Amino acid sequence: MGTAARWVLVLAGLAILAAGAYVSFAQSGSGAQPWDPELSDNFVFMRVVPFVLGLGAVIGLYRAGGRKGTVRRGDQIRRFSVGTVIGHWIAAVGFVLALPTGLWQYLGGILDVHLDLPLYLIYRIHYIGAALILFSVANFAAYWWVNGDRSLWPPRGGWRRHLAGFALELPPALGTRLAAWLRLDLDQQPRPERFTFYETAFSFPTWTFALVLITITGLLKAMRYIYPVPGPVLYWASTLHVAAMVLLTLKVLDHLRYTLARWPLMVAMTRGWVSESALRHVLDTASRPGPRQPEPTLPAGAPAGVAGGSER
Amino acid sequence: MKRLVAILELLWAAVNVVIAYLFVTNAFVAKTAIKEGLPAQAALLLGGALIAVFAATLARQSLQIVRARAPTEG
Repeated sequence: MGTAARWVLVLAGLAILAAGAYVSFAQSGSGAQPWDPELSDNFVFMRVVPFVLGLGAVIGLYRAGGRKGTVRRGDQIRRFSVGTVIGHWIAAVGFVLALPTGLWQYLGGILDVHLDLPLYLIYRIHYIGAALILFSVANFAAYWWVNGDRSLWPPRGGWRRHLAGFALELPPALGTRLAAWLRLDLDQQPRPERFTFYETAFSFPTWTFALVLITITGLLKAMRYIYPVPGPVLYWASTLHVAAMVLLTLKVLDHLRYTLARWPLMVAMTRGWVSESALRHVLDTASRPGPRQPEPTLPAGAPAGVAGGSER
Repeated sequence: MKRLVAILELLWAAVNVVIAYLFVTNAFVAKTAIKEGLPAQAALLLGGALIAVFAATLARQSLQIVRARAPTEG
């Protein structure tokens, strides 16, 4: 797809989002509707969601067809494209807004505690965060679907190898138990490629599961304002939405712990570029020595792509 | 920069410890049992315990970096 066509796609997505948002806000702000601020926000959010998802998808398509830039500058290699870095931090802002407000709504309901801040403002912030997360989900789903990059996911037939590598990256007591439970062969000493086995066998699949769960349940909850969702469906959607929220709270904590201890990963997700030697050190030291002697995971002269120097 | 990020993550962990405390303590109050039932109480207890463990692990990691004399930049 040409650059001009991709720009047309993005501009069309932006225009449709702007039109959809304008119509929704105009209706709720007209004064003709008997809605309180909270109900008004519910309607606006539900009506804007399809346009947010659409914009995320077209930007993902735009990025997938984009030019692949330089992947190496001396010792620095490009770990992530600019679009991926921006998309990651948009999702992070979404989590910072949506998680605390979601937890407050849940706990506030249980505790019967109310802040001086009106409840509709808490919901409003939650919806803004949720919209950013939905945008990110659509953006990355479209991007990965079209560009065919599956490096964060174990390949078909590769799950046992990745799980064995993941077991070797865990503390010995935990990793040995996991290996025994799943009957994994730790003698393999698998070598990580672009990402650690923790990222491919555990982190990314659980992110995917939690995000899919919170997206589907959140959309079902929001849908009730435009479509009569059956009571039992709504009950389970609400219950699973809370479960997904707790799971995402755990995921954020674990993600922060993991990347803080492996600083080059944090640098890579901020600048896009990272020192190859620092990245190699992270990959080399991810696994503890298994029953056999450890082998170097990357040869000294390995091309940048092996260590993750390709855009994604 | 690494130390600043570690301090921010320490704050995030502290907020999560408070959330974990609210989850766990409210798993045992009568109001929760009446309003939400036993499954919700169990979920609050499990969720709160897990959040506490993960927050403590992050706090420990962050404290190690904050206390380090010469933080290394990647």
